[in-house]
This record gives sequence, C-alpha cells and structure tokens, in this order.
Amino acid sequence: MLPSPAGTTVPSLPGPPPDRWRAGTGEDSPRFLPLARLDVLIAELRRERRVVGPVVEDGALRMAEIERAAELPFGWTVSAEPGSVRLTRRESGAPGAERAFDNATAWSGIKPWTFPPRVDALSLERRDDGSVAVRVEAPTPIPTAVIGARACDLAALAAQDRVLTGGPAIDPDYATRRSDLFIVAVECAFATSVCFCTSMGTGPEVSSGADIVLSEIDGGFVARADSLAGRRLLESLALARAAPAQVRRATGQVAATRASMPSSVQADGLPERLLANLDHPRWEAIAERCLACANCTMVCPTCFCTGIEVGSDLDGRESKATRTWDSCFTAGYAQVAGGGSFRPRQRDRYRQWLTHKFGTWWDQFGTSGCVGCGRCIAWCPVGIDVREELSIIAAPPASEQLVAAPTVVGQSLPILSRSIRAGSVRMDYVTVRVAEVRQETADTSTLVLTTNDAALLSARPGQFVMVAMPAFAIPPISISRIRPDGLELTIRAAGPATSTLARLGPGAELGLRGPLGRAWPIEDAFERDVAIIAGGIGLAPLRGLLDQVLAQADRFRSIRVYLGARTPRDRLFVSEIEELTARGVDVRLTVDRAGPEWLGRVGIITELFRGAKPTGANVTAFVCGPERMMTAVVDRLTDLAVPREHIWLTLERRMECGVGLCGHCQLGKRFVCKDGPVFSVSELGEDLRREGL
Amino acid sequence: MTLIGQPATTSGGRAVERQRPRVGVVKFASCDGCQLTILDLEDELLALTDRFEFTEFAEATSKRSSGPFDILFVEGSISTPEQAVEIVRLRAVTKTLVTIGACATVGGIQALRTAAEHEAFRSAVYPSPAFVDSLAVASPIASHVPVDFELRGCPIDARQLVELLTSVATGRRAQLPDQAVCLECKRRGYECVVVTRGEPCLGPVTQTGCGAICPGMGRGCYGCFGPREGANVDSLAGWYLDGPSGPRAQVDVGRLFAGFTGASSDFRGITDRLGGRPPLPMRPAMAHPPELVEAAPPTWGPQPAGEAGDAHE
Repeated sequence: MLPSPAGTTVPSLPGPPPDRWRAGTGEDSPRFLPLARLDVLIAELRRERRVVGPVVEDGALRMAEIERAAELPFGWTVSAEPGSVRLTRRESGAPGAERAFDNATAWSGIKPWTFPPRVDALSLERRDDGSVAVRVEAPTPIPTAVIGARACDLAALAAQDRVLTGGPAIDPDYATRRSDLFIVAVECAFATSVCFCTSMGTGPEVSSGADIVLSEIDGGFVARADSLAGRRLLESLALARAAPAQVRRATGQVAATRASMPSSVQADGLPERLLANLDHPRWEAIAERCLACANCTMVCPTCFCTGIEVGSDLDGRESKATRTWDSCFTAGYAQVAGGGSFRPRQRDRYRQWLTHKFGTWWDQFGTSGCVGCGRCIAWCPVGIDVREELSIIAAPPASEQLVAAPTVVGQSLPILSRSIRAGSVRMDYVTVRVAEVRQETADTSTLVLTTNDAALLSARPGQFVMVAMPAFAIPPISISRIRPDGLELTIRAAGPATSTLARLGPGAELGLRGPLGRAWPIEDAFERDVAIIAGGIGLAPLRGLLDQVLAQADRFRSIRVYLGARTPRDRLFVSEIEELTARGVDVRLTVDRAGPEWLGRVGIITELFRGAKPTGANVTAFVCGPERMMTAVVDRLTDLAVPREHIWLTLERRMECGVGLCGHCQLGKRFVCKDGPVFSVSELGEDLRREGL
Repeated sequence: MTLIGQPATTSGGRAVERQRPRVGVVKFASCDGCQLTILDLEDELLALTDRFEFTEFAEATSKRSSGPFDILFVEGSISTPEQAVEIVRLRAVTKTLVTIGACATVGGIQALRTAAEHEAFRSAVYPSPAFVDSLAVASPIASHVPVDFELRGCPIDARQLVELLTSVATGRRAQLPDQAVCLECKRRGYECVVVTRGEPCLGPVTQTGCGAICPGMGRGCYGCFGPREGANVDSLAGWYLDGPSGPRAQVDVGRLFAGFTGASSDFRGITDRLGGRPPLPMRPAMAHPPELVEAAPPTWGPQPAGEAGDAHE
C-alpha cells in the first residue's frame, strides 16, 4: 500500500505490466529503431512540432530545442552527489560511448517547456475615458515533442497535471502547452547517486504517460508505442520487430538500474510520520545550513508556485501582469498587506517545502509531490539531501528500518492532460463601475460597484474577488455586501494597491474576478443562537452575512453582534450599526482605546462576552478580525462551551491567484483561497495556532 | 505614498501644462558608473525627461540646482567631512531620497578602508597626506540621513531605476525583490556554476536585481547587490571551505565576501572571521619613492587649506 495520510484512500499503484515489453508478433510488439534512424524519428516529429531533448551546455545536461540526433549527449555520463554534478565523456570504445541517453535526467527537465518561468498573464489598460480593460492573455500553442523524458519526468508531469488541470480551476497556459505535448520517453540504463525513483515508486521503468518509449541498447533502441499517436508514428517508420534477445537486453538493463538504487526513503507512511514531527529539532538544524536560495524549488519538476509581477508604463495606463516562478523559500512568499509574514524564519520555510512535498501534497492532490528525481539534492548549493533529512525527521519505526526498496513501481497516476476540460472556475475579469464611494474611516472606504454579471451577483457572504487595476498588484478583497445590482467592497488602505482602491471616485472602473472561495455557512446557524464577532476591518466580510441573517431573522433563536475597533474613529458602518441597535438587535461594541468623549466600552473584544455570553452548545459563532484577536475569541468561546465545529473563522493569507494555483496561501494541507477562507475551528485544528505554518 | 506628478489631464480640449517632479542626481565618493547607467537608458530617456524634470545631473547637463527635489538619486559613499555636511543639506530639500549603487548603499569598494588603518592607507596613496581631508571610514548614505529607497548593485540595474521612477509616478509599490540571485538565475535557465564547476558564487546570499549577469556569463556572482534578506553567509562560506569543491584556504573564502559590498555587516562578518583583506600597512615606498615625496609639492593634488576644492575621491 502506498503512503497515504490517515483517512484518505489512495489506490494502490499498479506495477508495470509484466508484458510491458512483450516480444511477439502482434502489431503492438516492440520494434527496433536502429541508431542511424533516430534522425528519421526526429525529422518525423519536426514536421509538426519543435523537438526538445537533452543537450550538453555549460557543463550540464539541459532540455533544449534540437534539430538532429547528433545534438543529443552521445557518450556523456554524469556523476551527481549532493551539491555537485559533473559531466564526463566516456572514452571511445567504453561501454555507453555510443549511447545518447546513458546518463541521467537533464537538470532543467520538461518543466520550462510546459510551465515556463515567465508567462504573460494579463494586460490591463485604462483608456482616455477612464474605462478599464483587463484581458487574460491567451497562450499561443506551440506543438512540442520531448525526446528523452525519464520515468521521473513523466511522474512529475502527471503530478503537475493534477495541480494545474485537475482542480476546479485550470491554468490555461499549462493546459494549452500540455495538451499538445508528444513524449518520447527513455527507460534509464543508469542512475546517479542522487536518484531515488525506486523509493518513490515512479521509475526507472516507464509505465504510462509517454507516446513512445525507448530503451537504448547497443546499436539502437527497442521502441514501443504507448498511445495512438505514438503507434502511428512508429508505424510510419516501418521498423522491424525487436528480436527477443533485444527485448531481454532492454528489460534486463532497466532491472539492473533498479537494482543499483538502494532504498533511501521509506515512503510507506511517510506523510503521517512527517506531519507528526512538525516540532522536530532537526528543522532548526537544517535552517542553519539552508540558504533559502530557492534552487531546490526552481529545479523541482513538480514545484508549481508562482507570483504575479506587475509592470506598467510611466503613466500607469497600460500594464502587464506576468506570472513568474516563485518559491516558498522567499521572504515575500507568505507576506500579507501591511508587511507581516506568516513564515518569518528559515526553518518555517524549509518545513513548508518538505512537509508539502512529501506530506500535505497527498491531501491536496492525492499523490506525492516528490518523484525521486534527486534534482533538489544535486542542485542544492550546500548539498542538503532530503533523503537524509527525512530519515531523521520522519524516521520509520525501528522494525521497518531494514525494509528493502518497495516493490511497487511505475507511475501512480493516470495522465489527465489528454482530456483537459474547461475548469469550472472562471479565470476572466469582469469590468465593473464604481457607482458610489463611502468614506468609512480615515483609511477605509466602501466602493459600491454596479454590474449585471450573473456570476458576481450570485456571490455569497464570505466570498472574495480579485481586484485588478492597471499598474497595480491584484489584491484579494472580501465582499462586504451583495446588492441586487452589484457588490460592495470595503477596503482599508494597507499598501499601494489598496490605498489607490480606497481613493477611487465614482465612475472609475475595475476588473473583478470571482466570486471566489467558500462562503459563511449560514445554514449552520439555523435554529441556533448566532454570534457575529468582528474586529476592525474584519466586519467587512461579516457584513453581508449580517444582512442575510437579519433578512431571515426568524430562522435563528437569537442574534448577537460583538464589535471591536481600535478607536471610536475606526468603527465601520457606524450609522448602519446604530440602525440595527435601534431595531432591537443586540449589538455590543468595544474599542481598544478612546478619549474622554467616548462613553462606550474600552477593552478587548472578549470582555464583551461578560455581559451577554455566547454560551453553550447551541451557539454558532462567525468570527473575523486580526488572527490574534480570533484566537483569543476562540479560546473564550471554547471556555464558554461553544462547540468548535460551530465556530467559523475567515483567514487572511497572501493570494496571487485566488483559485489554488499559485501556492501562496497554504496553511498546512489547505489552500486558504479555495478550501476557505472560511473554516471552522475544528477543521483547522492545531494548525490555527501553529507558529510559522 | 504621495502621488508625485499626476498624469497629464486635458481641460477644455487644451493640454494643461503638468508639473513635472523635479529629479536630481548627485554623487559623493564614487566612480559615476551608476549615473552612466541612467544615461544608457537610451530607449526610455525621452519618456523619462518628458515625465520628470532633471534639474541636477552633472553627468547629463550643465544646468545646476541645489534643490528642492521631489526625487533625489544619490550615488557614492560619504568619505569626507564636507560630504557629511552636504548630504544633510540635500536630505532637507528632498522629498524622496534614493541611494543608487553599492557605494551609496553599503559604502562600496572604498569602504575597505573602514576595517583598515586609515592613516596607513592615506600615506601609502598620497605623497602629502596632510592635504587630504578624508574621514576614517567611507560610510553609506543611510548612516547619515534617512533613505526612502535603495537601488543596489555595482552598477545599478537600469530596469530597476525605471521601475522605481514608474512606481513613484503611478503610486504603486516598486517591484524590487529581496530574493536570492538564484531564482533569477534558474528562471533564465543558467547552469549553476557552484554545482557544475565548484566555482564559488555569492548568488545564494545576494539580492537579485541584476538579472544574474555573472552566472549567465559562466562566472560566480561577486555580490555587488549586497546581502539579501536573511543571507545565510555562514553556511555558504562553510561549504566553500570544506564542500566538494574544497578544501579552500580560509583567506580565499574570506576575500570572496570582501568585494564591492564587503562593508555590509553580513559579508564583513565572514571576512573578519576568515581573513582576506589587503595586507596592512602598505609600504609607502611602494607607492611613492621617497625622492618624489621630498621634492616640491605636487601640482596635481588638492592645494593646502584655504583653497578648498573638491576633496579627492
């Protein structure tokens, strides 16, 4: 059984079919591609596609566009160890001297071709009349064939397929590049000391995901088709069947490669062991070595985190948003408006990377994030070896220490890309107009936006939208009211983008993408006592909920509202709140500090519970505010016997995409953007308070 | 952030003359290379001068201004008593002060003297050191006055300068990432010189922004953008001493960190520990033979007090 977190079911991996290379007389039987005809294969591919294969460049193997077989790394071999990779040429006449693929993975892998480091994402324009246009850049399809993909490369593609095309939102650029990729894979005849595909169950045998699979033997290749397109191509080459001895040589060779790799990661039960050790002292020790330089994430073939870079002309009228590779090792990765980072320490960042790759990836995508290619080990400038770290942090129980390499092999995942469907989450922006601006406090305004877009009008309280303006970053903003003809957004000026938004005037236009995320589960409070608890700007995402609760007030046993603000001047929606009080709603208010003219309460928000306790099993609480305020409220509510599954919070994290593709907002196994931002305290468990998560 | 220089607006069909932000470019102890980088912006210069009024920029115009400035770019480190006074005056007449280049941000190559014996340096270099009025340390601008933004590098990256001006003009945050050079190196698909050749490279501990020029040319980064946030210099130095490409002499590793940004505290810590600074004191005889020193006062140097000119930089 494969590693899987408790409570999830993972189908056991199929091993390669024993007749993977069955010799025979059928149409599908393996063919022999003489070395001299490799050029014909490449030429055939090049009729419709660019062809990408491994080449030697600046002392390393990389995937680059090629025109002929001679560009492939014939005769080169690789030695790799932690922090070091050396290419050497085999002496002529030595074994492997005439072979193209008798080396290891190219460091750059296929990723730059399917998921380039920089991609134009949006273009934004503010026209002379003040109107705004936001265009999602459509990828230009460039049919591509990859020759020399390894089993680990295919497993990585399958993993990225799940991330970028498997969810409700799909990455349009990746989907386009991926759906038209033709893959000629090679079974490895050689493993370096950093390879550990056997431990991760991904290779070295190629079992799925390729169009054509080659196994390089002296004088040529045993070749088999693994897709319709692959079969057509092989047939067009009119190759002879491979002799049984050739097939035996091919299978024996990859079996020898497997045997050469010792078991280095005990993958069975790894996610559980890893996630049970979030406070292991080793994290601190790695942080002393780790440079947080992000090389491991850049070379990892499954790492998918991206950020948005915004560039503009000097007038800020035209701008472009570029999606770039980002890394959880950078300081800005987990930073939110206002400057605070959720992972300030180096150990937090390393822990995020390792626990995601080997642990929470299973919860999110039903697979491991690691395919055992070893690139992160070889290309770490200070040679940190994940295998060693895992053996210390997530050591298997003593009785399992001597377990031999798992016998499960082959890629675990069906390839999804051949049938990429349109995602159910819309990725385009709708232009909306600012109808009215209400200044709430010195730094906070409410924008009343009109739109007739059905999706936006179907938003529910607690959801958010991504807000695009030419020249500015694209922040997530929670919806503070849903109107029949539009939305209201209440925005506090925390950074340049939100400051500019908060200063907009009537008539201005914005691009909105959404609604996104999980709404407040209002039905959880039906027939119960509702407590709505907000600190500061946290009232904004609760305002729409309050609207709906009041609109169907008779469905609730009681309604209480608790509000906190820094000072009396920082209170939001003052007249609306006064109106509520006038209508008899129980609203309690406190401020952190106030002058003598303030006749109300001063103190922290939990003190409000003294007079009117949200007590007992019948309370459902909806809470939003600064994270410290929320944890204090949760403590107090728990003391008052409010069940944790009935305490709902909305969390703030950095979001660049809002749909679970950019990676930034992860909190343990969750993407705050798509799994939240609303969570119950029981769903969050200990992660709510875990430092640096 | 205040919006400086609103976009041109039209009123009654006529273009309204807009108030262009006044921009100054000044220098202290430096080589002028950063200023030249600005002049190298051939494609953008016209748009920039259309949008900003360069009122002081000695490398570009003979028109001079002593202020006030909406934006002031300051090149060079503070190396003389006069400069220490002048920077305070400039700060007082400037809204947004931006330091440009390694000299202004961390002291530059001349800050090597900070850890050395100033007097020995002076007498090694100048035949009549008494004429040279210089401070014992060459210090970054931020140790004298508050700095709003810094553009790093030796020289600065011109795209970062345009980005900064654009951000000021539009009111958005400038995208000046504090990540390692490695991210950009890998995004550009350059092979790592440390891993493939064992060549020491400061990229992992250096702030990005240059476009990974040196690794792109197959050589190690020498850290001209200075240490990035959270630079783990101890780990990297240890690896170069004893890792697979080592062992190396301590002094060789210490010298790696003693370049243009060697005065930054992160890098200096390594050099202080491992060595690698120039040997001191330098022998005056090497620089100026005694017979020359004892001859008539040089005619090319600064004149004795009373005829104050620019101090030698």
